[in-house]
Amino acid sequence: MSRFESFHPLVIFLYYVIVLFVTMFTNHPIVLLCALTGGIAFSGTLSTGRQLLSDIGFYLLLFILLSLANPLFTHNGETVLFFMNDNPVTKEAFVYGEFIAIMIIAVIFWSKCLNQVMTTDKVLFLFGRVVPKLSLILAMALRFIPLFKRQAIIINNSQKTMGLYAADNIPDKVKGTVRVFDSLIGWSIENSLETADSMKARGYGLPERSAFSIFSMHRSDLMMFGLMAFFLLLFFTGKHAGLLIFQYYPTLGQINCSGRSVVLYALIALFMFFPSIIEIMEKIKWKYLESKI
Amino acid sequence: MEILRVENLNFSYPLREEQALTDISFNVKEGEFIVVCGESGCGKTTLLKLIKRELAPCGEKSGTIYYKGIRQEDLDDRTSACKIGFVMQNPENQIVTEKVWHELAFGLENMGLQTETIRRRVGEMASFFGIQNWFRNKTDELSGGQKQILNLASVMVMQPEILILDEPTSQLDPIAASDFINTLYKLNQDMGLTILMTEHRLEEVFPIADRVLVLNKSKVLLFDEPRMVGEKLKNVENNGVSRGLPSAIRIYQGLQNNSACPLTVKEGRECLAKNYTNKIRTLKREKRCLPAAEPAIELKNVWFRYLRESPDIIEDLNLTVKKGEIVCLLGGNGSGKTTLLGVIAGSNRPYRGRVKIFGKNIRKFKGRELYVNGLTLLPQNPQTVFIKETVLDDYRELCKVLDCDQKAIDHRIERIAERLSIGDFLNIHPYDLSGGEQQKAAIGKILLLEPRIILLDEPTKGIDAGYKDQMCTLLKELKDDGITIVIVSHDVEFCAHIADRCGMFFDRTIISFGEPEEFFCNNNFYTTVANRISRTMFDNAITTEDVIELCRMNERDE
Amino acid sequence: MIGFAVLFIVIAVSRIEILSVDEYYLTHIDDIKKDSQVVTVSIRCDTILNNMDKLAPELRDEKYVPRDGIILEETQYVLRPGDTVFDVLNRAVRYNKIHMEYQGERDNVYGSAYIRGINHLYEYSCGHLSGWMYKVNGKYPGYGISKYKLKDRDKVEFVYTCDLGRDVGGSFYSERN
Repeated sequence: MSRFESFHPLVIFLYYVIVLFVTMFTNHPIVLLCALTGGIAFSGTLSTGRQLLSDIGFYLLLFILLSLANPLFTHNGETVLFFMNDNPVTKEAFVYGEFIAIMIIAVIFWSKCLNQVMTTDKVLFLFGRVVPKLSLILAMALRFIPLFKRQAIIINNSQKTMGLYAADNIPDKVKGTVRVFDSLIGWSIENSLETADSMKARGYGLPERSAFSIFSMHRSDLMMFGLMAFFLLLFFTGKHAGLLIFQYYPTLGQINCSGRSVVLYALIALFMFFPSIIEIMEKIKWKYLESKI
Repeated sequence: MEILRVENLNFSYPLREEQALTDISFNVKEGEFIVVCGESGCGKTTLLKLIKRELAPCGEKSGTIYYKGIRQEDLDDRTSACKIGFVMQNPENQIVTEKVWHELAFGLENMGLQTETIRRRVGEMASFFGIQNWFRNKTDELSGGQKQILNLASVMVMQPEILILDEPTSQLDPIAASDFINTLYKLNQDMGLTILMTEHRLEEVFPIADRVLVLNKSKVLLFDEPRMVGEKLKNVENNGVSRGLPSAIRIYQGLQNNSACPLTVKEGRECLAKNYTNKIRTLKREKRCLPAAEPAIELKNVWFRYLRESPDIIEDLNLTVKKGEIVCLLGGNGSGKTTLLGVIAGSNRPYRGRVKIFGKNIRKFKGRELYVNGLTLLPQNPQTVFIKETVLDDYRELCKVLDCDQKAIDHRIERIAERLSIGDFLNIHPYDLSGGEQQKAAIGKILLLEPRIILLDEPTKGIDAGYKDQMCTLLKELKDDGITIVIVSHDVEFCAHIADRCGMFFDRTIISFGEPEEFFCNNNFYTTVANRISRTMFDNAITTEDVIELCRMNERDE
Repeated sequence: MIGFAVLFIVIAVSRIEILSVDEYYLTHIDDIKKDSQVVTVSIRCDTILNNMDKLAPELRDEKYVPRDGIILEETQYVLRPGDTVFDVLNRAVRYNKIHMEYQGERDNVYGSAYIRGINHLYEYSCGHLSGWMYKVNGKYPGYGISKYKLKDRDKVEFVYTCDLGRDVGGSFYSERN
């Protein structure tokens, strides 16, 4: 489990919301590049490099598709490459398309990371306080999905050895799947009656249900809240001062390299790379501690 | 102090004429460990459910149940939910949430307790049950025994004063069952918890029970200490309970002597030593002369694993099963016995080695050729065999497999129904049948395919002694018809009664394979209780009947 | 995924006509002869000059908003038979190398081409009430430019409004009355 995962679920959730917000509501190239690389780095610390590389083909294809899509629909921009049905296909539209693609892929990477970090019990904890009954239903649904999958396989196997739908043609297989599904429904209804009994026997249905959690707030979590608030403040100040606006049409704007801008870029980069950085720092710390043992 | 009192309880289910419970009266003192036993259908489960208000079935009820002097109807909701705990039979179905810690906290959440209190109680209970190592696991990753312990813990966390259990170990393997019962005993002794449970596996609970309640056909037959029950039951003819009693008691009941009724293996040995000599040490058995039959199943050098990265489940296994014999395979939980049956049945494909059925390589069978008039497998859970609304419809389904018309199949169904005497439940939904009845109906379905080889996976799981006997007889009849049977089971007693040859599955292969006498008498642990009782005195007694016979031959002259 | 991409490309290619930049601008303007039918076309964006504060920052340049507000002054072009306003406009901007973006008639609900932007000035480039409108002979037709068939001696004016038409003498509502 990485260092980032051990933060309080609320911290993780807020971090993710801020990252998404920053990514989706700016179109500045540097910000988007930071978001993308930050997301890839974080993904890299959570899974192995090999898994990442194997997906690269997919992401490249996605990138190409998305960046080609924009010039087909938007024809603003001064630098014309060629004309299509009398509409100009411009370089500016291409560039804009590329950065939109970067934004989308960055969001995909961050969502993948979030999926791994925010386990179901953390999600339930966050929303359980708000709606306890809903969180219980979610918890039960999550339990039943793998259970049903397994039971379907068992039923399938036992029907196979009775000779039903052992022929290899497709209609037989489809009929067989429908049969198994039928049986699964019947089985689940029957057995869930016992589950309902078990719940009732333990007092489900009494008024005032509370929600339990095994997550408690630590000092590092409070520090994280402070840091995020600080970042947001600086971010909005920069945005208000117009440092994050980038012009794509009719001509590409220049990337602002004033002192203030650079500081803002560095800040954003730091924020995006934060989980990866603390992960690497942890690894270094452990190597150091281990070498002392 | 009396914790529970039942007075003149009568109950019948709606639309049924016969009474489920007739005039039941008994009381339970605080801290007692009570075992309820009786034949299938005598009303045990109904009685237990009625005591827990939240689970009480609908029907016509008369009589009163008192908890600590208060009538059940007058108890407030919280007391009723918390103070009376209930653990059911099926470990899987009682679990509600995805994570172990959430399951433990579930009951307390319902009570509306604060996080701090919940955390404290859950932590305490988890430590007591040894759950702290798998506290953060997902519930579907647990084994059957672990699940049932989790269920027990999540009820105990609500701090009940009386715990009711309905056949809690019937779905567990012997080791897990033993652990569970020991835990119950610990709870009873260390925490003074009153326990009221039903059980078919009486071998382990009889010695630790304070009193035993015997029900027979909806009435109370006996309610006394275990030893007295053992003695008194000797005089009651044709009671279904005796077949399920511990071996020591059954041996005692088959003999005439003046000793007190033994309950444990140790007491059994003492009783035998005191009353019988061992001049004749061996029992003469006719050599089971199986003609050198051709092999029905051959496994040569079979290796199997599920995925390339996973470890081997079966390693270099060799097995030959001759036509017309009954082979039993024993082995610990999770050792791979079910997987082995899958290999024989063709649903698991070994990556090395050969499987031959009646001399033909299993891969050469096309489509359903193997399963019609060939080989069939009855899985662990008979419910998965049924897919239609009534048993009859399900049987008729098979005419598609058999490629015969309605009339022909109806004829076959009639014959089978008569043979198994299941004519009554042909029109009932399979899930409405009891465990033993479901098993019979499932076997009926298999027999329609007119198999020559039958594979059974844990056929005695959750079945009571009466049905076990019936199954024994049925399997012997099938063997006489020339059908080859392979059984995978934990149930040592059952295998001792029925097997022609036994094998032990351990460490990915079959070690020790031989005739029951040789097999059981050489094992110290994987052997019948009757064998354990008599092994110091007699050489080759495996079943209680063997022991009784040997004792009779060795009457000590006073 | 690859299947979709291929499908997309195939469909796209069948309807698309690609021209390089030079080819596009190498368009032929008919010479005006004595007996040819003609129309006049002009493109103006004066109203922006009164609303420079609302103009998007990247467009504050002579290139996009000429000092006199005239992008194309009144010019005569030959009217080919069956020409709509759109056809004439298209020819005019192509010949004069003025940027134009339109949405094809098959791609919108009106069944007519829709002018998105001329000379990089688009809808909403100057406040949220701004956009392009066209007049023929001083009146606003009120329907799509691909539907208006021109006659000899018609005068077509494209004007940029910053106030939903009210500042150029015609608005959606007043026309109706």
